[in-house]
Amino acid sequence: MLTPAIVLLAWWFVTPIVQSVVLSFQQVSKFRFDERTFVGLQNYSELFADDAFRRSLGITATFVLFVVPAQTVLAILVAATLQGVARGRTLFRTVFFVPYMTSTVAITTIFMQLFVKGGPVSSTLARFGTPDVTWYADTGMALIFLVIVYVYMFVGLYIVIFVGGMESIPASLYEAATMDGAGVVRRFWHVTLPGLRPYAVFVVVAGVIQAIQVFDQAYVISGGTVLGSPAGATSTIVVFIYQQAFRLNAIGYGSAATVVLLATVIIAGVISRRIAPKEA
Amino acid sequence: MAATATRVPPPSVVRGGRSSARRVARMAQLLVLSVFGLVMVAPLAFALYVSMLDRADYLSLVPPSRLTLDNYRFVWENAPVGRWYLNTILVTALVVGGAVVVNTLAGYALARFRFRGRQLVFLAVVAILMVPLQAYLIPLYLQVVDLGWLNTILALTVPFIVNPLLIFLMRQSFSTLPKELDEAAAVDGAGRFYTFLRIGVPLTLTGVATQAILAGTWTWNSFMIPVTMTTEPEKFVLTVGLNSLQAQNYVLPTVQMAGVVLLTIPVVLMFVVFQRFIVPSLASTGIKG
Repeated sequence: MLTPAIVLLAWWFVTPIVQSVVLSFQQVSKFRFDERTFVGLQNYSELFADDAFRRSLGITATFVLFVVPAQTVLAILVAATLQGVARGRTLFRTVFFVPYMTSTVAITTIFMQLFVKGGPVSSTLARFGTPDVTWYADTGMALIFLVIVYVYMFVGLYIVIFVGGMESIPASLYEAATMDGAGVVRRFWHVTLPGLRPYAVFVVVAGVIQAIQVFDQAYVISGGTVLGSPAGATSTIVVFIYQQAFRLNAIGYGSAATVVLLATVIIAGVISRRIAPKEA
Repeated sequence: MAATATRVPPPSVVRGGRSSARRVARMAQLLVLSVFGLVMVAPLAFALYVSMLDRADYLSLVPPSRLTLDNYRFVWENAPVGRWYLNTILVTALVVGGAVVVNTLAGYALARFRFRGRQLVFLAVVAILMVPLQAYLIPLYLQVVDLGWLNTILALTVPFIVNPLLIFLMRQSFSTLPKELDEAAAVDGAGRFYTFLRIGVPLTLTGVATQAILAGTWTWNSFMIPVTMTTEPEKFVLTVGLNSLQAQNYVLPTVQMAGVVLLTIPVVLMFVVFQRFIVPSLASTGIKG
């Protein structure tokens, strides 16, 4: 009964994952992918000397640093507001969750129209001092645009996880806090937040691991031109890998960047096991 | 988690505080939620509205009588949307069908059978779970090229039938079933496969359905794989097709939004119908994964 799964896992997961590591030590011909020579660590040494790669690491880090706190705090606040609402609870949860179920291409395409120069959102925000530009085509705004699209899509998932977490906090804790005269804010601070700790750890770690891999949105805003446009402002690490491997045919070089990505994700995962309390 | 989902602690109903103050607090609570809900719905509503506007009316408010389906007609006639729909439905159906069979069997075996290497297989599944697709896309592509699968439906389906997360999900579902059921079946002379089919599967239908919905949504929405594996427009799935429309600047925004709606409607409808058990199961797999 396990055989089909094992065969498919070995064929389509284990083999390519191992192959990724092997390729990262090879120079692959740009015209014949089966012509490969072992070059040791050369790809890696070139990679870390490559300004474009280092820039993509910086862009990815910036992206993660904006996305993760934004979506985590927003999700906790919305979930806390939803707490105690009985009627309309399902409706709200559905509404918050729909964007997560929707195609990235669709959402990004919609947001591009909302944030084009003179578009409904960009022109409204411009009254409050943001530059009136096409956000996704402006080197200063494109990454912020990606952050907005991304948080919009993922916040619903994390709201639902926090709602689940809040349901696991015993009601007696709230009653006791109220007896002691704690108001809404203090109950949130002293009961809800500590109770959510394992969930928050999970949301932050999963959020980091997810956000490192951002790709679809950046691909769509490049509109079929050079990936990472405008001018490399959205060249995240996966965009960099894709550009190297599938636009410039640098298979070995792209694979080395892939291994760096893989290592980052694994390290993030391992750290999370260390700091996460047992319940998570 | 499932057990705790039934009762919600109602902190703001907890005794103390006057009732008028409580009512104000409740109103504020609903107001905040409604505003946030509107923000979440607005982009989708915008897409639906714009998709029904005449190009001359773009971004202006018009009475319902001026709304039109011309953009849908245009996109249907000028892009192989029907073809993209068929491709997407076919790919999704094949992946879902295959996934349900393969991952359910594997989850059952891991939950129920004792055999040498079971722990190893399970550890491997959990380890692979952590590896993002982006980290082996290049060799995956090379494998597809070697097999001559580029621009075929095989490239979009075969590699994605088995899924570590879904195996894990099914293993968890089967683990909750009491062992006595199997033993009773064995006493009655039922074989392993018969026990699986007649006792295991019917009792984990929620898990199986969740799996189908997850695999279906992922496949329907997936973009990176099809955009890499298909280059001929008539082989595109909807996401790739829509992106190709979007990338052509001469395609009107109103027409683009018609494409967005065509891509989005099936998933949103399915979600709204089945959300009662999609949302909790997704949230719990999230925690456990």
